[in-house]
Amino acid sequence: MLLFAIRRLLLILPILLGLLLLTFLMLRFGGSDPAAAIAGDIATPQQIEEIREGLGLNQPIIVQFWDYLKDAARGDFGVSVYSNRPVGLDIARRLPATLELTFAALLIATVFGIGFGTLAGVYRNSIFDYVVRIVSVAGLAAASFWIAIMFQLVFAMELDVLPLRGRLPTGMEAPQFITGLYLVDCLLTGNLATFWEAFRHMILPAVTISLGGLATIARFTRSAVIASMQSEFAMYEEAVGYPRHRVVFPYVLRNSLVTPVTQVGLLFGAFISNAVAVEAVFDWPGLGSYLVEAIFTSDYQAVLAVTLVIGAIYGLVNILVDLTHGLLDPRVAERM
Amino acid sequence: MKKLLVAVCSAAFLMGSVPALAATDELVWGDTLPKGLDPHVVYDVPMQMFMLNTYDGLYRYIGNPPELTPWLAESHTVSADGLTWQFKLRDGVTFHDGSPLTADDVIYSFKRLLAMGKGPSGAFKPVLKPENVTKVDNLTVQFTLDHAYAPFLATMPLVSIVNEELLKAHEKDGDFGAEWLASNEAGSGAYSLDPKTYNPQEIADLYRNKNHFYGWDDNPSPIDVVRAHPVKETSTRVFALLRGDIDGTDGYLPTDQVERVENAEGVHVQKDESMRIMIIRMNNTRPPFDNLNFRKCVSYAFQYDGFINVVLKGLVTRNPGPLPGNLWGAPKDVKGYSYDIAKAKEYCDAARAEGAPLDRDLEIHIQSALDQTTQSAQLLQQGLSDVGVNLKLVASTWPNLTSQAGTAETTPDMWVHWVSTYFVDPENWIGQMYDSNFHGTWKASSWYQNDEVDRLLREARSETDQAERAKRYEAAYRQIVDDAADIWIYNTVTLRGVSDRVEGLKFSPVGSGAEFRWMSLKQ
Repeated sequence: MLLFAIRRLLLILPILLGLLLLTFLMLRFGGSDPAAAIAGDIATPQQIEEIREGLGLNQPIIVQFWDYLKDAARGDFGVSVYSNRPVGLDIARRLPATLELTFAALLIATVFGIGFGTLAGVYRNSIFDYVVRIVSVAGLAAASFWIAIMFQLVFAMELDVLPLRGRLPTGMEAPQFITGLYLVDCLLTGNLATFWEAFRHMILPAVTISLGGLATIARFTRSAVIASMQSEFAMYEEAVGYPRHRVVFPYVLRNSLVTPVTQVGLLFGAFISNAVAVEAVFDWPGLGSYLVEAIFTSDYQAVLAVTLVIGAIYGLVNILVDLTHGLLDPRVAERM
Repeated sequence: MKKLLVAVCSAAFLMGSVPALAATDELVWGDTLPKGLDPHVVYDVPMQMFMLNTYDGLYRYIGNPPELTPWLAESHTVSADGLTWQFKLRDGVTFHDGSPLTADDVIYSFKRLLAMGKGPSGAFKPVLKPENVTKVDNLTVQFTLDHAYAPFLATMPLVSIVNEELLKAHEKDGDFGAEWLASNEAGSGAYSLDPKTYNPQEIADLYRNKNHFYGWDDNPSPIDVVRAHPVKETSTRVFALLRGDIDGTDGYLPTDQVERVENAEGVHVQKDESMRIMIIRMNNTRPPFDNLNFRKCVSYAFQYDGFINVVLKGLVTRNPGPLPGNLWGAPKDVKGYSYDIAKAKEYCDAARAEGAPLDRDLEIHIQSALDQTTQSAQLLQQGLSDVGVNLKLVASTWPNLTSQAGTAETTPDMWVHWVSTYFVDPENWIGQMYDSNFHGTWKASSWYQNDEVDRLLREARSETDQAERAKRYEAAYRQIVDDAADIWIYNTVTLRGVSDRVEGLKFSPVGSGAEFRWMSLKQ
């Protein structure tokens, strides 16, 4: 399994290289000139040309890409062409916010998705099953942007039980930086008042992001549970008198989890892309809102770096998912 | 017991929150923050808010109509030929770190701006060389221009004076301290930034500078703490204002939200006529837009009244030409174009007769993030379809469009944008939009060329007498409108949602009223 993990890790490198090249070319041929964006609203054509020259934008694309790769390999993602701040610093500051939100959403989607899916599968064609199926279709169909606004309207504006936006209330000091994940840092420093506020602020955005994934996992789990329940081993165990919960939890569920767990890996990417819209609505200071701003201002260094980081995380999460398959199914582990 | 625990937890969950609104002596401002904090690198509308509060310039625009007021400078003199300008600085001004602000800091600020070549430097580069900013004495600075440039004084508020010693201490590889200043400030303004809590584009906490040179006598209860916490999404911004999370939105409240805010308790919409004109550009070099009759046809095919009174609910004022109607230099008798489909048809027929290729699909590029660009383009599309011209909408972004404006070949047939107030002088609008010397910039993206207009605008630029300048601008204005170079639609009324507890908001087109030193909070 260790060799498998190393092999997969090495495979990420060419994937990231391809991702970078694609993004680089899209930015360069996308019609936008970073020099014009940097020069500002009252720049002269000569000034724009000077900036273009200074940034090396007049050099051949391949030279520009090679220079970028050399710097990126050293961990230097460059300086934001617009704000003059190191991009790495911005990402380090914002990445934990996005990770915390995405993992919270994944947790919600996985726990509730598997839970609802299992119950719907076990009690197939019951009222609960119908409700899960209908709600999951709705969860898949509704745009997260719209759900986010509806949640704000109901829980922040009408009921006034949850915060509207942000990671913490205005003026509340952020917890001491250890991991950048507020909930974790609050627990590590014993700061329970801030933990509570951070938790409340996370509920609406995390639930918004999780809904689509929750529906997907619930539907996959339901199908897998139904298939397992109809398999011979399950019928045998029921026939010899095992109570239903003894059949479902240790046996049926374990055999049904491979497909939903695969979905978790795929959903991580979907959640990150959902976070772009959801972070904007909830003013969540993560990478999603940073990426949107970078695209709108042609801040190509920032766009490239965020793409690289998200790509790398996505790759790592999928390796973890593959390793989990091995733990769930010994046959898979043998092939690793 | 279990039920009781559940009830207690639920109640705690529902009720146990920090009150939404910050302390009563703190202002929470929901307007956008600039992407970086260096006022010599970034120059846009969000930066105006930051620099007006944390920095000082030699002169400052105050009020509406904006009055150019001596600020760090006590006075200035200009030589008869308009080339040599001397500014006398106030004595006793200090930066936030307590060090004195002297002529050396002013010279360093201008040299830094010109050397870096970003932000507002474009207003000075064509007329000022770094070596021509010199020290007369500790409190007097002299600027020697390459050639006479009448708007020079009007551009003074663009330049924030930075603390030379502080920046030199943070300089890295000859970067003029730019990396450090992107997340800090080195000013002398009425408020200072708390760099510890600063989070780019998310949080900037500002604290009142009690030692500010202007003093605080005119505001008996100034605000000590301003928390600039931008709210990015319009709907969230309005929600946040309504529930008291923020005290002010940005100045571009969508017209469909105005009524909602006006009908809510505890908040209102502050409406101020600004100097920001909306324009549909036409690439005058590209057929059929190189045909005057066709441009007139397009000008008559736009439903100005429908757009202003129905789509925008009458919350803006019609502006028929290339200068804000409330600025000197704009002739008051020019009515411009109005929607008249019969005339449009007549001009399009004339253009066809002259061989203009009206059969091809024309394109209008809109800015996806700005609804009004789409709405105006759709109205024009409807008008032109009535005269047999097909117009296609193409979604784009501001950086793409400004890049495309670099050459006549890449500039779209048409595109929609606004020209804001960077400095209050006709040069900011008509001068930089229609003098062919500015071709290649987004402001001059109609690629209009008229030798007589060039002459008038250049004379107005070098003439120092305002009355004489006004005559030339008026003449150029008439000619440009006659030539139907573009479609000028309206002058913006700034619409800002504001909490009723905010008092003393003093609007100016430069900075849109976000200068906190005049404000106080009702207790």
